[in-house]
Amino acid sequence: MKILVGVKRVVDYAVRVRVANNTIDLSNIKMSMNPFCEIAVEQAVRMKESKQASEVIAVTIGPSKGGTETLRTALAMGCDRAIHITTEQRTDFLEVQPRAVSKIFQSLVQEEDPSLVLLGKQGIDSDCGQVGPMLAGMLGWPQITFAASMEGDSDKLTLDRETDAGTETLEVQLPSVVTCDLRLNEPRYATLPNIMKAKKKKVDVRDISTFADLDLEPHLQVLEITEPPPRQAGVMVESVDELVDKLQNEAKVI
Amino acid sequence: QRTNISIMHPLVRDLYKRVIWVGKDYPQGLDYVRDKWKKALRNPHNCPSCYNQHNGSVVPIVVDDDASYKIPTDCERELRKAVGKGRHMVREMEGIIQLKKYRTMNKRYGKKKR
Repeated sequence: MKILVGVKRVVDYAVRVRVANNTIDLSNIKMSMNPFCEIAVEQAVRMKESKQASEVIAVTIGPSKGGTETLRTALAMGCDRAIHITTEQRTDFLEVQPRAVSKIFQSLVQEEDPSLVLLGKQGIDSDCGQVGPMLAGMLGWPQITFAASMEGDSDKLTLDRETDAGTETLEVQLPSVVTCDLRLNEPRYATLPNIMKAKKKKVDVRDISTFADLDLEPHLQVLEITEPPPRQAGVMVESVDELVDKLQNEAKVI
Repeated sequence: QRTNISIMHPLVRDLYKRVIWVGKDYPQGLDYVRDKWKKALRNPHNCPSCYNQHNGSVVPIVVDDDASYKIPTDCERELRKAVGKGRHMVREMEGIIQLKKYRTMNKRYGKKKR
């Protein structure tokens, strides 16, 4: 079985982003692989190691310089080869939007013919969570989102979905689209020796203009970006009576 | 003539490169990692046989100029053990990075208690 894994290059999870001029300034900021995409890559690699999958292909859409770093990390984690769709547009929600990404992935799926598409649950920059369901809809494939555990063989998978109401167990026939949640696995760290070995693996570079026949124009416009309001200072109370009074009258919790 | 610590052992160079690679993701930052590791790599106590005791102070062993790379063999064994400990430390650092990432992601995107 062939697995296609979507990998997104996002602002590193530990970076504190700053908003300037209604946009997020991305110059000189640390970028890395989306943590949910790492989980997806790890799942694909584990399936390859347990001989369920024959080939794992990592796909990313991003700038020519930065995208290769992300793909090299994916290859170092164990993918066989990679496809890099180069674009100088912003891949956070502002320019390349989930609909465009889904269309590109649909085209790649029709080309590569995988049985399983593994994606992260959401990108930590845009927090959309749309590519998985959208791609499944475009392909007419079943989808399982927020997968927290996965078992199966080359025909069907049994997955646990994590929802706010609890966990539900589902069985899905392949081919299918699965988006991965945090508790699916613990992704391995891409060590330097593996990064060096990954330089030998094949990366197929294509420009986004080769997909020009698909309508990739953004349909949504971002009107405003603001930082969340600063935390209000706390109120110091003098006595227990005052605390009870405030809880009763101002906060209205007792 | 040169001292053996002015010639870097290839394993030590490889170890330092691994440290820098991991250090870029380390929570306390690359500068912190670099300072600590440079100090540790230069510390004679981590590989005592590579140094001589000379009137109470440690002095690096002198090697011939014509040798492209050569240190005494008893030094080599201890150096390899030290590099092994260093690689173990790098794995520990990777573990810390993974743990911090999981905890932060869990806090942000984990199950919200109703």
